[in-house]
Amino acid sequence: MARIIVVTSGKGGVGKTTSSASFSSGLAMRGHKTVVIDFDVGLRNLDLIMGCERRVVYDLINVINKEATLNQALIKDKHCDNLFILPASQTRDKEALTETGVESILNELVNMGFEYIVCDSPAGIEHGALMALTFADEAIIVTNPEVSSVRDSDRILGIIQAKSRRAQTGSEPVKEHLLITRYSPKRVAADEMLSYQDVQEILRIPLIGIIPESESVLHASNQGNPAIHFKGTDVAEAYEDVVSRFLGEELELRFTNYEKPGLLQRIFGAK
Amino acid sequence: MFKSTPKNPIEIKISTVVAISVILHAADRMALDAALKKMTGGVPDFFEGDLAVIDVGALPPASASIDWASLIGLLKSYRLNPVAVRNATPAMEQNIIAHGLSIDSGTKARDEVRPAPAATATRLPAAADETASGMKPSAMMIDTPVRAGQRIYARGCDLIITAAVNNGAEIIADGSIHVYAALRGRALAGASGNAEARIFALSMEPELVSIAGVYRTFEDGFSPELARQPAQISLVGDRIDILSVNLASRS
Repeated sequence: MARIIVVTSGKGGVGKTTSSASFSSGLAMRGHKTVVIDFDVGLRNLDLIMGCERRVVYDLINVINKEATLNQALIKDKHCDNLFILPASQTRDKEALTETGVESILNELVNMGFEYIVCDSPAGIEHGALMALTFADEAIIVTNPEVSSVRDSDRILGIIQAKSRRAQTGSEPVKEHLLITRYSPKRVAADEMLSYQDVQEILRIPLIGIIPESESVLHASNQGNPAIHFKGTDVAEAYEDVVSRFLGEELELRFTNYEKPGLLQRIFGAK
Repeated sequence: MFKSTPKNPIEIKISTVVAISVILHAADRMALDAALKKMTGGVPDFFEGDLAVIDVGALPPASASIDWASLIGLLKSYRLNPVAVRNATPAMEQNIIAHGLSIDSGTKARDEVRPAPAATATRLPAAADETASGMKPSAMMIDTPVRAGQRIYARGCDLIITAAVNNGAEIIADGSIHVYAALRGRALAGASGNAEARIFALSMEPELVSIAGVYRTFEDGFSPELARQPAQISLVGDRIDILSVNLASRS
């Protein structure tokens, strides 16, 4: 039974595309046929993060407008055979995204045998974000531990609970997961940043994982290689934990404790 | 849940409406017109066709018989819709009915035995705006968090919420508001003018509160005894007061 997962946040720049890329890669590497779709029409960047920007010929809007088939538009990921990318259009505007168009593409993807369909939402609560969440079975709410991100995540949760197809037809509600990104235990300990417990207290949805703040993410985007492939880094491990928890495993939270470096470490430049 | 087609083309049930009490202290049309003009401040749709029950109980008994046609005309010109008269003397009743108004027997009706379908009513204090019939729905209940951007309106009753009301959310009730969790958003009680309404919360940290239209923000924060404590907000005169409901702090 295929599952449609929307990765959304409300706030921009919190790590939706970074997380969509690593999450879908993680699922595919464990043997599940996965597709990740960029819903940010006009400001597309999923293809950059996945490293396939030079192989984009057709996009989501071409397929909706029947100018190309899904097979022509889907790009196979260079890192993983099970993963496919459906890029957004750079030139068209959001109105080209129609609800019926999106629904028919998702149905076709299900029929093609995809187990997981990850929808990378644009920022905001307008049409593009709405189209990404309408058909979702599950939602990953990406949140930075900071007040405006938490407020915007709260807003988008309300919208999912009101405007998703599942909400409107009275079916089982969309399963919500909280993904906290750019977490810095040091700043939490210094009371400069909200703790993950503070964020959970406000948003009240189950926590699927915490991704620590890390320079690896910037390197990953620059190289067009999702962060989860950088084996051994904290970010890669954190994303692997997220995928494991999504697939049902129960794991302890990592990267939440700050250990103050000893004197020698501080002399030699540990942060 | 399924709908069954009713066998009768028409069903009669007890229902509740919210009506305004128009309490007269004088019967002189000029005086009433001037007072209404002052009250509405020249705003033509101050009253939006609200149902009105005219209360003549405060009029001196020796006053000349009331010109009902003129009074009805005056109220309608301010967009009030008079439907009944309360506390009229038996001598007035025939005249009142002749002008198309009903007699509201007030408290007497509530003691009558009601037919089976009527639920038992929760009696609100008499000071609250009363309704044309004797019953109110008890309260609207919400058990899920109220999120930023959401708005809840409990029409004609109290609002009870057993989960948090987040920043950026707005909860409104014609009656009182009870939040058995943190209240962080905006809360507007007594929205239709009930100044007796109150706002209760287990952790009172709202952005803005209002009772019967009088509002207050908390830009300077809360005093240490009240911050994040169980508290109640009420309207005292024309000032919004915040008081503890924590037994431990009562002297």
